[in-house]
Amino acid sequence: MSGHDSKYFSTTKKGEIPELKEELNSQYKDKRKDAVKKVIAAMTVGKDVSSLFTDVVNCMQTENLELKKLVYLYLINYAKSQPDLAILAVNTFVKDSQDPNPLIRALAVRTMGCIRVDKITEYLCDPLQKCLKDDDPYVRKTAAICVAKLFDINAELVEDRGFLEALKDLISDNNPMVVANAVAALAEIQENSTSPIFEINSTTLTKLLTALNECTEWGQVFILDALSRYKAADPREAENIVERVTPRLQHANCAVVLSAVKMILQQMELITSTDVIRNLCKKMAPPLVTLLSAEPEIQYVALRNINLIVQKRPTILAHEIKVFFCKYNDPIYVKMEKLEIMIKLASDRNIDQVLLEFKEYATEVDVDFVRKAVRAIGRCAIKLERAAERCISVLLELIKIKVNYVVQEAIIVIKDIFRRYPNTYESIIATLCESLDTLDEPEAKASMIWIIGEYAERIDNADELLESFLESFPEEPAQVQLQLLTATVKLFLKKPTEGPQQMIQVVLNNATMETDNPDLRDRAYIYWRLLSTDPEAAKDVVLAEKPVITDDSNQLDPSLLDELLTNISTLSSVYHKPPEAFVTRLKTTAQKTEDEDFAEGSEAGYSSSNPVDSAASPPATTGNIPQPAGRQPAPTPAAPAPVPDLLGDLMGLDNAAIVPVDEPATPSGPPLPVVVPASTGQGLQISAQLSRRDGQVFYSMLFENNSQAVLDGFMIQFNKNTFGLAAAGPLQIPPLHPGTSARTMLPMVLFQNLSPGPPSSLLQVAVKNNQQPVWYFTDKIILHALFGEDGRMERGTFLETWRSLPDSNEVQREFPGITITSVESTIDLLTAFNMFFIAKRKNGNQDVIYLSAKVPRDVPFLIELTAMVGQPGLKCAVKTPTPEIAPLFFEAIELLFKA
Amino acid sequence: MMISQFFVLSQRGDNIVFRDYRAEVPKGSTETFFRKVKFWKEDGNAEAPPIFNVDGVNYFHVKVVGLYFVATTRVNVSPSLVLELLQRIARVIKDYLGVLNEDSFRKNFVLVYELLDEVIDFGYVQTTSTEVLKSYIFNEPIVVAPARLQPIDPAAIFTQGAKRMPGTAVTKSVVANEPGGRRREEIFVDIIEKISVTFSSSGYILTSEIDGTIQMKSYLSGNPEIRLALNEDLNIGRGGRSVYDYRSSSGSGVILDDCNFHESVRLDSFDSDRTLSLVPPDGEFPVMNYRMTQEFKPPFHVNTLIEEAGRLKAEVIIKIRAEFPSDIVANTITVQMPLPNYTSRASFELELGAAGQRTDFKESNKILEWSLKKIVGGGEHTLRAKLTFSQEFHGNITKEAGPVSMTFTIPMYNVSKLQVKYLQIAKKSSSYNPYRWVRYVTQANSYVARI
Repeated sequence: MSGHDSKYFSTTKKGEIPELKEELNSQYKDKRKDAVKKVIAAMTVGKDVSSLFTDVVNCMQTENLELKKLVYLYLINYAKSQPDLAILAVNTFVKDSQDPNPLIRALAVRTMGCIRVDKITEYLCDPLQKCLKDDDPYVRKTAAICVAKLFDINAELVEDRGFLEALKDLISDNNPMVVANAVAALAEIQENSTSPIFEINSTTLTKLLTALNECTEWGQVFILDALSRYKAADPREAENIVERVTPRLQHANCAVVLSAVKMILQQMELITSTDVIRNLCKKMAPPLVTLLSAEPEIQYVALRNINLIVQKRPTILAHEIKVFFCKYNDPIYVKMEKLEIMIKLASDRNIDQVLLEFKEYATEVDVDFVRKAVRAIGRCAIKLERAAERCISVLLELIKIKVNYVVQEAIIVIKDIFRRYPNTYESIIATLCESLDTLDEPEAKASMIWIIGEYAERIDNADELLESFLESFPEEPAQVQLQLLTATVKLFLKKPTEGPQQMIQVVLNNATMETDNPDLRDRAYIYWRLLSTDPEAAKDVVLAEKPVITDDSNQLDPSLLDELLTNISTLSSVYHKPPEAFVTRLKTTAQKTEDEDFAEGSEAGYSSSNPVDSAASPPATTGNIPQPAGRQPAPTPAAPAPVPDLLGDLMGLDNAAIVPVDEPATPSGPPLPVVVPASTGQGLQISAQLSRRDGQVFYSMLFENNSQAVLDGFMIQFNKNTFGLAAAGPLQIPPLHPGTSARTMLPMVLFQNLSPGPPSSLLQVAVKNNQQPVWYFTDKIILHALFGEDGRMERGTFLETWRSLPDSNEVQREFPGITITSVESTIDLLTAFNMFFIAKRKNGNQDVIYLSAKVPRDVPFLIELTAMVGQPGLKCAVKTPTPEIAPLFFEAIELLFKA
Repeated sequence: MMISQFFVLSQRGDNIVFRDYRAEVPKGSTETFFRKVKFWKEDGNAEAPPIFNVDGVNYFHVKVVGLYFVATTRVNVSPSLVLELLQRIARVIKDYLGVLNEDSFRKNFVLVYELLDEVIDFGYVQTTSTEVLKSYIFNEPIVVAPARLQPIDPAAIFTQGAKRMPGTAVTKSVVANEPGGRRREEIFVDIIEKISVTFSSSGYILTSEIDGTIQMKSYLSGNPEIRLALNEDLNIGRGGRSVYDYRSSSGSGVILDDCNFHESVRLDSFDSDRTLSLVPPDGEFPVMNYRMTQEFKPPFHVNTLIEEAGRLKAEVIIKIRAEFPSDIVANTITVQMPLPNYTSRASFELELGAAGQRTDFKESNKILEWSLKKIVGGGEHTLRAKLTFSQEFHGNITKEAGPVSMTFTIPMYNVSKLQVKYLQIAKKSSSYNPYRWVRYVTQANSYVARI
């Protein structure tokens, strides 16, 4: 059994911490080492062993590297929570940074840089200065990264102490590892700084290109990516750079290959010689294809990048379409990307092969993949005029298999083919009509109806076909209704006989009287007026020739494409979005919360309705829609007390109410979330949550003593947090006997100990008693406990405030899991938490509600909720001067609706 | 270019290893990740892509032996770097621990953390070379008994059955000493070829491809220099010819479309005599990766016949023939074929005297599965399956069934004809004669016959 690390996980029944404490102070080295291992084991499974801080630090002075490393690992974890004690380690750190062993010197600097405690940082500067000039490259490369660490903690210090210059000197270091780290550190510092720090001129370029050949694979990526920002002065320089970089294409590491590709593509922009360009394209093809032999995860990245590259330079892979044929065992995310590239590479020369593949894919099992394959056939038909007929015959073959979703998808693409090649393939309409009754997807139905209307004069029974759809008109989705309306008008204009005339009357009536969809209503009114004033003009309008559509498979906006190409081999090239759309580090104001993955549908470019417009409209439209303008929310109801606190009420004690321990605790409200389970708390279980009563914030707590001992002397302490929440008075808990519990509502004050940095819902709490170690736990600040009673806003003010705030102050989030059961109950619920009703309106079958709220220090929160009653999915948009708090607000919304 | 966190989760989502390098990702990222991966689409079936973004945090993951290796970041990093790094971390840890599983991780957590601190500093990769790491790592691995391990890499297939292979070698830690304190001097060179072939319904080859790797794992002390000689008639690049020109490339010699090499490989004499020289670092690594679309003889020929037998019945006959020499034996062969989704029953008939064969009709996804323990070169096997349908079929069954796909492993056989002619180890003394193992294996990647 000896020697297994897992033994450190076994716990003794009683007093683990005191036992460890004893072992840590043992006179035997081995015992101490074992004890530290046990401490680390406890730490990794999330146990709090911070109370052993002093004892662990005492083990730091050792020649044994294994032990030293363990102690350092511990320090990185706990120094932050014990800043006063961390100072104990400083002496040893400083001493270690001068140790004759370079490993120890590096270790000291590396670890100090990871401890974000001011006192440690102060002492870091001197050793760091020495280590940047150390004789040993391992120390220097560690010091280089440490400068980036220090910059992150205290940028001024880095500049004041001249570390930037030292770092720049390291670019000329004779050790490539040091160069690579210096480049990485400088690149990061530059990213977070507005002044020019790391600019690449032709001297640095030469140095770095030389270092490139000797670097490790990872260093090569750092250097290539840093160099990709360099703009060559002329075509000759560009060619030179490319020549130096091309050998990297042969590297086994995919990251090196892609970074080299990016660099070459960028320099190619400057190169004028067509020979050189053709030659480069030829050189890049095999390594790009080889990326598809890597693990599927890498293939996915490669495919997303290739998708961009072929849009810009289709020739590179024009002859390689076969390598993009889907393999039977490719993961679905790889297959989908391959399909996309196959469409892009499809040409008159290879279309037969490609169609054969698509046809095969259309009979596979994965429904999404099958649909995409069918759509791909249609897209090829639109792209390649000469192949259109072959594409259509494949589609017809697929329709004959009569697999429902294949048929529907085929009809959707055939509609597009009709648009692209008018008056060419109508002969197949009869075949399509056979599948009419099986259509149940709105898009397929709408497409079929469009076809019938468009070619009504050639379909003998067009009126019968349309009539069959009309019966269910009121129940159809808007998309189908709109098409039905237009198709019926077309039919009537083409065949102005009695049948169609009756039909059009029914449709127009339905669309104007029975619906509340403004789009449908407006369109119906336009047709109606057109038909009644000038039927000939109606013909000119409705039956006008349509603009020809083109294939959309290359439709990334050229400027976006160029931007993405400069970001080849970055996340941006995988999401097909510019970096600012998803990088949220340090730029909280521009934050966009996006729950969806970017890879899907990224080319569709869905634009959601501009919330500013819709926000400006509610008061205006309320006149039309029956809206209880006089509806006054109940006069500021007190928030329901989440915890019944009878005794406190009776005695008029608002501060700390104590429920006697022998009284059965029968909470009727939602139980408090457990923050320290009995298993971690040595039998003591703590549950707690922030709440609000009568304009005051409380911390509702429940203590349950399942241990064998009486616990007394409870105290509480809150760490610095975003709202500076702190206890307004002492924690009043009577001595807890085994098996008993006690509740309290601890009054809280705000803005006592504010934490710097971006807002966070993190609330770190420490609770202690006389018998046990300190319990640390983290809770969440629930924002609705902080919303003030004075958050109500006049409508005009609301509108004005909304308009006065820039768009960047708006943040949205979708909650697909939340269902609104009624508008009224939602308003009541939110009013109870001081979110005040402003207005509501209908948008199609969705309800939009506007509310206002205020968080402390008078920050207004303007809220827009959009949902369909009874359907899952709630969209929440907020506009506020401090959008950084929005994520906290969303957490609150989630919590409120889940309860 | 840096990551925020690295963690390893078990298949159930338990935290096995967790290291935060930059304290910028909110708590709970492991749960967020696991929930997202598990329920990518509502039906829980779709596989999550390796990269996604949740609330401004980018998650990268690869799956290695059923464990999730995950990295998070908030910045616009190089995704291939992160994914490659995750694979390498798995490889380095495997080099140290010998085997990679939950158990070996838990037994060696201190060592794993020590490794992670040297591999990544402040989110930046430092090194993933087992050789380099050796000088900075002080914990000794605790080796998990190999009896409980599962095969996890292509090389592990050598441990199944083939008696001439020392079975424990591939799962031996590169740093741990064997009992007795002495290590055996040996070196493994594996030529692993994964082949993809698509046959048309009439039996022609539509596409074929070989993804090959020469993998090395050295247990030699003192890092002697090694020379590896490949076929002299080896050519790289198909010139300007496109993939469509099969005929013109089928001349003599082995023609690679493309290849790349490990950074330790020196190619000084590669152009003249096709030898690679290198000082192999410790640990397992690919010496060379190559890709080939040159025509080759597929190891198996598949023939499928579907005959309608009345309105609600049909018979499927699958015949496979092994097209390799009779001294070669393929093992763990599986043949799969999706059947029309209105198939309600399938009864099977194997050939007379069939041994080591199993058949199954997977009701839930309507898949026919036929597994064979082994097939000797030149052998031919037939399966007959009688299908019963719950409804009449609409015309053409072949459109609603198939394709037939195969997986297999053929030890000591490679289709590309690429060979290691010799493996020379610089001699320290006349008595120095380490064990050298050069092994070949061919595996199916995507081996599909359309019907």
